[in-house]
Amino acid sequence: MATRSNQLQMMGLLFSYGGESIMKNCITKSEGSLRKYGGSHSLIYISILILDYLLSSNQHKTQTPHFLRHASSFRNSMTTPVKNILVSSVKSANSIGRVTPSGSSCCKKIVFISGTYGIKVNKIHDVQKQSINQVYIEKTSTTITHWYARLTERRNPEGFFNFNFIHPQLFDLKSRITTFTRLRGYNARISLYSYIYIGKNPPPRTACMEVISITLGLVGYRPNDRKYLLDMKVFVDTDSDERLVRRMRRDISERGRELDGVLKQYFKFVKPAFDYYIAPSMVHADIIVPRGGENEVAINLIAQNVMTQLQQRGFKIREKLLHANFGMSRPNSLHLLPTTPQIRGLHTFIRNKDTPRDEFIFYSKRLIRLVIEHALTMLPFTSVTVDTPQGVPYEGKRIATEKICGVSILRAGETMENALCEVLKDVRIGKILIQTNLDTGEPELYYLRLPKDIKDYHIFLMDATVATGAAAIMAIRVLLDHEVPEDNISLCSLLMTEQGVHNIAYAFPKVKIVTTAVDPCVNEKFYIVPGIGNFGDRYFGTEPSDQ
Amino acid sequence: MNDVDDKTINLNYALDDDEDDNDDDDDGKVRENKNNILVKTMFLMEQHSSKTILKMYGNSLIRLVVEEGLNQIPWSPRSVTTPTGCQYDGVQFHRGTCGVSIVGAGDAMEQGLRQCCKSIIIGKLLIEHDPGSNEATVVFAKFPEDITFRKVMLLSPIISSGDTVIKAVEVLKDYGVPENNVILLNLFMTDVAVRTLSQSFPKMTILTSEVHPTAPRHFEERYFGVGAS
Repeated sequence: MATRSNQLQMMGLLFSYGGESIMKNCITKSEGSLRKYGGSHSLIYISILILDYLLSSNQHKTQTPHFLRHASSFRNSMTTPVKNILVSSVKSANSIGRVTPSGSSCCKKIVFISGTYGIKVNKIHDVQKQSINQVYIEKTSTTITHWYARLTERRNPEGFFNFNFIHPQLFDLKSRITTFTRLRGYNARISLYSYIYIGKNPPPRTACMEVISITLGLVGYRPNDRKYLLDMKVFVDTDSDERLVRRMRRDISERGRELDGVLKQYFKFVKPAFDYYIAPSMVHADIIVPRGGENEVAINLIAQNVMTQLQQRGFKIREKLLHANFGMSRPNSLHLLPTTPQIRGLHTFIRNKDTPRDEFIFYSKRLIRLVIEHALTMLPFTSVTVDTPQGVPYEGKRIATEKICGVSILRAGETMENALCEVLKDVRIGKILIQTNLDTGEPELYYLRLPKDIKDYHIFLMDATVATGAAAIMAIRVLLDHEVPEDNISLCSLLMTEQGVHNIAYAFPKVKIVTTAVDPCVNEKFYIVPGIGNFGDRYFGTEPSDQ
Repeated sequence: MNDVDDKTINLNYALDDDEDDNDDDDDGKVRENKNNILVKTMFLMEQHSSKTILKMYGNSLIRLVVEEGLNQIPWSPRSVTTPTGCQYDGVQFHRGTCGVSIVGAGDAMEQGLRQCCKSIIIGKLLIEHDPGSNEATVVFAKFPEDITFRKVMLLSPIISSGDTVIKAVEVLKDYGVPENNVILLNLFMTDVAVRTLSQSFPKMTILTSEVHPTAPRHFEERYFGVGAS
């Protein structure tokens, strides 16, 4: 009986949308299989929401827009949403899943929240991913399914095998707005909707401030809804028989349903929902893209448009081929040692492939000492007057902080630890081991040992060579995760590339970079060119024998 | 600091003072280093620095001065092949340098010099300087035979009146070393000494880290941990 009353309740809800045929379909008969939300067929809206989020010490935030009111005015007239565009100047890259500590000093970010949904989830995913991938910006994607209203106990799942999962009312639109606004702010928890079980799967995923955030499925979008600030609305169109075929294939093979159930669901819920809600909203679209993900031209167009919009708003997109930046002015955070003859002479010795190991070690130690001494000048100093045995006061300086820590990136960075200890009394040394996975080319963190209260320390991050900067960026992220302020970090190395310098300066503009030389580029094996070879191997003698 | 010529390089060149500008070259680097150097000199000058601290900061200051001094050695271009197979255009320093230390505080700098050049020849001078008079006498001198052809790094960390160094350079000249081959490496100098030395030996290159009216005479005693006799 409870089932029955729930159904009536359900019907009552649907009725408000005038979906009579659907309402009738919701009278349930028990079915043996679970129904799952079968993906969306509807509009793609790529919304570009640009925000300037300023993280000052007072946690000052931009005004959060007021919440979406509930859906009675779904059919309101179309008006162009007001663009509420704020431009940020400083950018910082965070990858998905990393939590930016609130109150950290990585300040302004540009956050794009783009909403998409369209015919056939796969196709939409393709379109959005390809178009946004082309823009080479960190992004996170969420789907409308993340905002399924929690099906409570009162709504007995067993009674809803014929449940229409596509209905707008099912979605917890309010919480989607909340999530969006929080996504602009710091990080947001996005619950994962399970396709197997009705309900939400813990633990929720945390998404950080991204440059572009894509939402799949904007059911319930109303064109006059200012909160979304959609600039570009794209409709991905495919023939209905293609849709059916794809749906069948997906549901049967991937999600393990039966043919009967699939077809039934399709004709009962999916097709009417499309005809009733989604096809009419095609009129809202600015661009209609046929053939989905294979439509290269359309994807290029969309990507171009996104990039143009970003650039117009002052956002400098990280180029994929950074050696196109060769000759560009170097970032301010780079402190290059002045190129004295001694430094060039030292480089001549250590770059020479015929230098024997003991000489290599000797000269690299000298060079390391110079780098460390130079990096020391970046510390804050205070003036101090002392008494001398001669009775005359002397005005000197003292390093303003007692808490200095060196963190070396094994193995090559370890060679630099000694120099730091020789120059500073009572300096602590931490270690990080990051190795590049040879298959994927991505750096991986293997070992970590840091002092406990490291967030109060000035850090000298030491690595002898920096090629692409991937390992250094990962190490800096590790430190930031331990709440070290970004401008307390100095990266010291002997040799870097233009690419590496720009990568690190782009990702972490406040980190100081100290090096003796900057080489032009990196070869396909990720060795610096002209370079020095593999510094760790040459220093420790673990070179592989030549083929 | 009015009448020094551009052969005197002060690693600790103070930009913001109202003094007249020196004609030093590559001042940009010098100024960046300034605070760093002042930290070290502070430890050296301080009354209550322990031996360990004084030695540690003294060594690092000596290293800085020596590295800067090695920049004065003539060089020529040289191209090497790196392990990636590319060419790198570097420099090669001409051979033929030696160090001459003035016994006393100068010994402290020998180790720093050897840390930079592994097997550099080091000669020794023992000069007795009567504090009362202006005269100094050479008691002991040992140099390499071909010192006339070598660039000489004269190591004397603390110079107060400058008389000792004047004598030392005169001895070197007696042995045939041309004046412009002498590079004086020093940590603390007085203004008086700077003027005297640059007037007496205008072609000599002077490298110092701090110019201050009072020279820390206690440096040698504290560094080695033994009192002077």
